Amino acid sequence: MQRTPRIGRALPLALLAGGASAALALAGCGNVGQSPASVSSSSGSGDSTATTSAGSPSGRGGTLVIAMTAANIPALDTELAGGQGYEGIRFVGNQLYDALTRHDLRQSREIPPLEPGLATSWTANRSATVWTFQLRPNVRFTDGTPWNAAAAVFNFQRFRDPRFRWTSPALVGLAATYVGMVRSFKATGPMTFQVTTAGPDSHLPEDLSTAFMASPTAVMKEGVAGFNQHPVGTGPFRFSSETTGQSLTLVPNTDYWAGAPRLDRLVLRPMPDATQRIAALRSGSVNWAEYPNPDDISSLQSSGFQVLTNSYDHVWPWILNSSVGPTRDVRVRQAMNYAIDRDAMSTDLLHGTAEPAYQVAPRANSAYAVVNDIYRFDPARARALLRAAGYPHGFSLNVEYPTSGSGNMIPQPMNEELQKDLSAVGIKIQLRPIEWAAMLTQFVTGRFPAGIDAVNISLSFQQESFWAQSFSSTGPLNLGHYRNPRVDALLNQAQTVVDPIARNRLYGQAAGYITEDAPWLYVVNDRNPRALASDVHGFVEPRSWFVDLTTTYVGN
Amino acid sequence: MTSFLTRRLLLAIPILIGVSIVVFITIKLIPGDPVAALLGPNATPQARADLVARMGLNKPIPLQYVDWIWAVLHGNLGTSISLQQSVGSLVLKAFGNTLILLVASLFLATLGGVVLGTIVALRPRSVLGRIVSSTSLGAISIPQYTVALLLLLFAVETGALPTGGMHGTGDGSFGDLLAHLVLPAIAAALTPMGIVARMFAVALSDVLAQEFVESMRARGLSQAAIVRHAMHNALPSLLTITGLQVGYLLGGVLFVETIFAWPGIGQQVYSAISSRDMPLIQAGVLISAVVLVLVNVVVDTVHALVDPRVRA
Repeated sequence: MQRTPRIGRALPLALLAGGASAALALAGCGNVGQSPASVSSSSGSGDSTATTSAGSPSGRGGTLVIAMTAANIPALDTELAGGQGYEGIRFVGNQLYDALTRHDLRQSREIPPLEPGLATSWTANRSATVWTFQLRPNVRFTDGTPWNAAAAVFNFQRFRDPRFRWTSPALVGLAATYVGMVRSFKATGPMTFQVTTAGPDSHLPEDLSTAFMASPTAVMKEGVAGFNQHPVGTGPFRFSSETTGQSLTLVPNTDYWAGAPRLDRLVLRPMPDATQRIAALRSGSVNWAEYPNPDDISSLQSSGFQVLTNSYDHVWPWILNSSVGPTRDVRVRQAMNYAIDRDAMSTDLLHGTAEPAYQVAPRANSAYAVVNDIYRFDPARARALLRAAGYPHGFSLNVEYPTSGSGNMIPQPMNEELQKDLSAVGIKIQLRPIEWAAMLTQFVTGRFPAGIDAVNISLSFQQESFWAQSFSSTGPLNLGHYRNPRVDALLNQAQTVVDPIARNRLYGQAAGYITEDAPWLYVVNDRNPRALASDVHGFVEPRSWFVDLTTTYVGN
Repeated sequence: MTSFLTRRLLLAIPILIGVSIVVFITIKLIPGDPVAALLGPNATPQARADLVARMGLNKPIPLQYVDWIWAVLHGNLGTSISLQQSVGSLVLKAFGNTLILLVASLFLATLGGVVLGTIVALRPRSVLGRIVSSTSLGAISIPQYTVALLLLLFAVETGALPTGGMHGTGDGSFGDLLAHLVLPAIAAALTPMGIVARMFAVALSDVLAQEFVESMRARGLSQAAIVRHAMHNALPSLLTITGLQVGYLLGGVLFVETIFAWPGIGQQVYSAISSRDMPLIQAGVLISAVVLVLVNVVVDTVHALVDPRVRA
């Protein structure tokens, strides 16, 4: 995903790296001196591979060195961390800062529920346009500045007012993804903060979990550019040092309101090449590597490394054209969905680092319901549907796919696998590779490029607004011009329903229609694989892209 | 000599302007814009439009170029779009790191090339000569990426050297830097070493075939003295060959830096291209071009000092 896929600038040389990974896998590498860790099978959708060894309850300390897929250290000023995609938010934003709300990332069983962050409670008016947040008392930024409503106002000014002295265009732009609906805001008391939105915005508290709060004192002392290099938040870690392009070192915030981290030090290192990340892990220079190549998984496990995976809100689809050409016919789109063998791809090609997507909603999304898992591999049914639609001999499609990106997984072999499956039912696929940044620019125009019938791009349901953006008939990211009035009505209604359970029910109903209408070819959901040294303990891989590192420690 | 140097430096100016224009236009022509790359697919169209306007990216391309070059002439390389830091300091730090790798690999390439080239020139038909000749051909032919992966494999297998990065965690010592430098320097140096070896062998053979060498032999000079004289005569060629390798190395370190996570200009430009970070790409390419032009000026000047015929 990228906003997950931007994680995904990460595997620029992924294809070449594949061969090397195999070589490294063969190497085995016994020099790390680690004893085999308990690692169970990484396939399936449970959470059996979602936690490290628990270690000792009193265990603490150590330096955790994380090899990120990002090509650079993310910017450090609140939302700017998102300039390196969701990976920047995961390892910099969420570690240095807090937001008004947050998700419970300390467990792997359920989809992380929203919980109080720098706000202890919140209420909305009936139309979900005015939100009042009661702020958490007795919290200080790591420079000693007290957290209060004035600090919240200062930060929202940074997000929303491009003329504000203490912000930058990029910060306003990145923040707009989360607070774009916010029209005005004010302090209604020393510890009470009120936000008014431009229209009903039932999922505002969800979105605000990524609107990070900076210390106003530090921003004004350092200036906008200076704060980006000397950030101060209230998060579980605080900034220690950065070596440009090489490493970012964070140390625990010992006064963290939700419990100080157990680590002594957290070091982030950018390593865009998957082979390099695994080589660094095997040689012991890092003890945590993001997104190993799927081919490396079994060798890493047999060498004693802990390989963790879990479902999260990711989807790897083809977006089909629902308005023009053969895929305009719903039977054709359904036929394509029956024609592909997702299980084989997940198991044989991706070695359990992904799980088959039989419907639109990922397993780690509240809209997921088993009853919607309808697209099992059934080529006979696919052929019958194609015949019924008037395409007994199939047809040809041009499909564009990005060449890189860890969120995009291993795009070329995956797309070739789909090409093979679809060819078996008569659908000839011409694959058109395109570089990731170029694809993003095309994608955000909301239209298919000329001569392209389908686009492969990995996406995330992390933000609820994604439902309407992608599947509402007027959605800006609805490339295929999918249109279903019942879906439009459900998504419009969801925008006004504050109760998350009732709202998720609406998304669930919409997911049922969307799955049946098949505006996308649903392929797989990534399982967020990462490899850890055997002496990393206490980490829980949640059903989320994001992580909580406060419970982790390193040592025996 | 002064007029020679002035002429060369003046000639560098249109080259640099040309490079900056070509890079600017090339990056603008390829699809993909920095705002889409920065904000990602989930950003609202309004957020994108606002940011495009605020960054001046909706201005005509020639105007954007003029704005940029005007700022550069005033010493302002701008702000990185993706990192929101001063491009000047980012590029200088990264280029410093590249320079370390460049000097180390140039040293390896030249030393190795001269030694191998001399062996081939002196013993062209011997077994050793043939082995060395094949080795240098192999060094040229083997893709840099493959070399880098084999070296990585070696590092993982033996644990003798770090697999990547420039420093270990918390250790900034010179020895630590040196240990991290070995593998990327070898990976970068191998191809230029093969080229230097083969070209220097030809140059030295040519010199050794000249009449003055025969005459030295006839006067009874030792083989060592003859080789010394011949090497001196082959020096201008070596300078030219080595100077050319700087350009090759600057291009080659892009791969090497990415694979070995070396925080140099290559890795920085690579990541900047992925995010269409125009100010960072422009500055990275410009500084590389400046260095290349300057190296050529230096090489030509030294060449002119060594060989007076060139000054004309």
